[in-house]
Amino acid sequence: MSGPLGLGPGGVVAPPASSLRAYLPIVVASVVLALVPLSLGGSRYFLSLGVHLLVVASYAVAFNLVFGSTSQLFLCQGALAGAAAYCSVILGNRYGLPLWLTIPAGVGLAALLGGGLSWVAVSRRLEVIYLGIVTLAFSLVFTNLLLGGRELTGGETGLVVDGGAGTWLRSPAAAYYLFLALLVGHLVVYRAIERSRLGWGFRALRDDEVAAALAGVDVARAKVTAGVVGAAMLGSVGATFAAHEGFVSPTTFAFGEVDVRVLVVLALGGVGTLLGPVVGAVVVTVVDELLRPLGQLRLTVYGVVLVVIFLGFRQGMVRSVRSLWMRAGTRAGPRTD
Amino acid sequence: MLTVEGLRVAYGDIEVVHGLDLEVAAGEAVALIGSNGAGKTAALRAVAGLEPGCSGRVRLAGEEITGLPAHALARRGLVYVPAERRLFGAMTVRENLVLGAHPERPDRDRLARVVELFPRLAERRSQPAGTLSGGEQQMVAVGRALMRRPRLLLLDEPSTGLAPVLVEQVYAAFARLREAEALTVLVAEQQVPAALQLADRAYVLEDGRIQLTGTADELTDDPRVRRAYLGLT
Amino acid sequence: MALVLDGVAFGLQLALLATGLTLIYGLAGVLNLAHGQLVVAAAMVGAVALGAGAPVLLALGLAVVTAGAAAVLLDVTLLRPVYRLRGQARVLLSLLLTLGVAFAADGLLVHSFPFTRLNLSVATPSVELLGVTVRSASVVASLVAIVALGGLVVLLRTTRVGRAIRSLTQDEEGAQLCGVDPGRTRRLVFVLGGSMAGLVAVTQGLVSSVGATSGLDLTIFALIVTVVGGLGRVSGAVVAGVLLGVVHAVAAFHIGTVLTFVILLVAAIVVILVRPSGILGGAGS
Repeated sequence: MSGPLGLGPGGVVAPPASSLRAYLPIVVASVVLALVPLSLGGSRYFLSLGVHLLVVASYAVAFNLVFGSTSQLFLCQGALAGAAAYCSVILGNRYGLPLWLTIPAGVGLAALLGGGLSWVAVSRRLEVIYLGIVTLAFSLVFTNLLLGGRELTGGETGLVVDGGAGTWLRSPAAAYYLFLALLVGHLVVYRAIERSRLGWGFRALRDDEVAAALAGVDVARAKVTAGVVGAAMLGSVGATFAAHEGFVSPTTFAFGEVDVRVLVVLALGGVGTLLGPVVGAVVVTVVDELLRPLGQLRLTVYGVVLVVIFLGFRQGMVRSVRSLWMRAGTRAGPRTD
Repeated sequence: MLTVEGLRVAYGDIEVVHGLDLEVAAGEAVALIGSNGAGKTAALRAVAGLEPGCSGRVRLAGEEITGLPAHALARRGLVYVPAERRLFGAMTVRENLVLGAHPERPDRDRLARVVELFPRLAERRSQPAGTLSGGEQQMVAVGRALMRRPRLLLLDEPSTGLAPVLVEQVYAAFARLREAEALTVLVAEQQVPAALQLADRAYVLEDGRIQLTGTADELTDDPRVRRAYLGLT
Repeated sequence: MALVLDGVAFGLQLALLATGLTLIYGLAGVLNLAHGQLVVAAAMVGAVALGAGAPVLLALGLAVVTAGAAAVLLDVTLLRPVYRLRGQARVLLSLLLTLGVAFAADGLLVHSFPFTRLNLSVATPSVELLGVTVRSASVVASLVAIVALGGLVVLLRTTRVGRAIRSLTQDEEGAQLCGVDPGRTRRLVFVLGGSMAGLVAVTQGLVSSVGATSGLDLTIFALIVTVVGGLGRVSGAVVAGVLLGVVHAVAAFHIGTVLTFVILLVAAIVVILVRPSGILGGAGS
């Protein structure tokens, strides 16, 4: 058993060695996703659904990097994305700064927070459960500070973004491709890290932290790097999403809104796989729409899905399909090697 | 009292005990000797019901006990004292001892008898077991096992972490116990001289297989044993 | 003074809530994130029974039994695979599984009982205590909590079963070697922990009310208290519960509930970072 504490893949697989084969899945996925709006005829409803899909997929890539690669249970995806979003909106509204300044500032704040959480966890040697509780508490602190800091954050009503109305950012089609670009960027970063020396360190520490440290992996540095990069990913999506929506509120980034969904998406798609977040996001978005009439019972469906996945189907969809494929392949013809 | 046939123990894909046969008669003391990593602990743990993945047949006084969980075996009087002792460090010595006979009601006479065997424990009665010295902890571990009046006592490396003087004392206590309680004992030990002095018979385990068996006297005189385990030529 | 008394009353309930969680964690290595939903399930059963005209004590008894039964059901069904793992892997899998259970139960409860609340606070007279007027409902709730907590402590300290529970909490294998049946003891602890959650529904119903949406909040409160008391430490949970209850009451009066909640959360974070074994300190079990 290996992977994040036995929940991941059976046996840690290194990414393909050749560049073409390593990045091909990203190319294919992005072409498919790029063609989706064309086939749907540019309906506003489907485009906004598509934006939500891309956003949750991007969040899940970040979570995959932090939890899947370095076994750090961050239960504060929403809070990190929200910190960047609020930071960007507040800077823009108060000081009239342009987006190209405020969004990076928001991303920087998220990266700082994420790196800080990782650093604290590493330096205090927090076990996974304690890090989970600390980050969950951090999420709730964040939400409650938003609610309490009315003058700065607008409380539960949130903030409307000054300006930006009528620009391309608010057009669903343009936004769709913007978020697609962000997702592709995240996937490329994820794969590039996987293929680097750092990625080798991730695989080693995921198997056994002590052994990895003995083999010369700087475990602390690897984990903090994952925390910083993952949080920056979350922040970039959160801040951009705020600019697109023209509005931020505590519920947009609440634990129950973001983290729960990201967990289901990644678990369904497959922890530690490149395209798991994308596949999971597609399935969850479609199922979510189909189940809309169920109302509160949708939460029950998510819960059952989580339980089923963690009980019997821990590899997630991407890996299961792949192993079926490989089994079919080996049965079809004799191996030549 | 104990019959083991074809016992195999594996950790993951690696088999560490390859078909062990072993017998301990009632009232007998048998030693299982061998170096570190020979498979002694794995074998004892399997007999004690702590290795659910093992295969083979184990019988206790004629009764088939293969595959029974550890707590069920303890209740049948097969009591295992692991090398790590596994005391309850935050609980008092008295509570540790009383737990030895769980789920029976604490038996005052038996407790008094065990404390009589290890007088040191009387002074330490209400102290948390975790604060005791290594030798005292070993006394608690053995005392805890004796609380049940075991039919068979499995001792794993009772010399672990003890100074030579203490090893002698512990084995002297075992010898007294054998006389006083007619105990049946299977002891696994790296400190071969002490074990051979206590035991009637012994098995030599190497790489998960029995290489040699005989009475303690035979093995003490065996040149191979003398060379490998007794440091003599 | 009135604030402190209020705080103690609230704190006793927090203690009741957290002991159930910490007892199960200590023994089974399962951090049950569906603990709050156990309270809600009990409350809903109690409210429905009351609505159907059942006598109060029967309805409340049913409520408590429901939570205990639901907890042990969780233990013998979904959590079975968890016990094949050890240490951190076990904690993580149980955490994710019970999180799923919490969502599933939340959705189901909110869907099925959107307007049901367990409310036992029938116009109760106030009584004079230490020169302060207190609601008698609050006194009754506190007495229930004190009796339950005291009973638990006596059970753990003085009985054979209690000794078995403590031994398993400290060293699972050592306990097995002493003839303690881990599965049976674990089921018992789930019944106990679940029933404590069920009692929280009763006491909470006495002082205010419990609705279907309270599950997550209750779990969070339980987590905070459990962490501050030290995961797996029953005495720590009791002390932390009362302490945080007083802090909650005093702070809420002066700075409002939102910031008070932040203070409690920060307290939990600080304890984890500075003293992971809890405020009572010492080596963790």
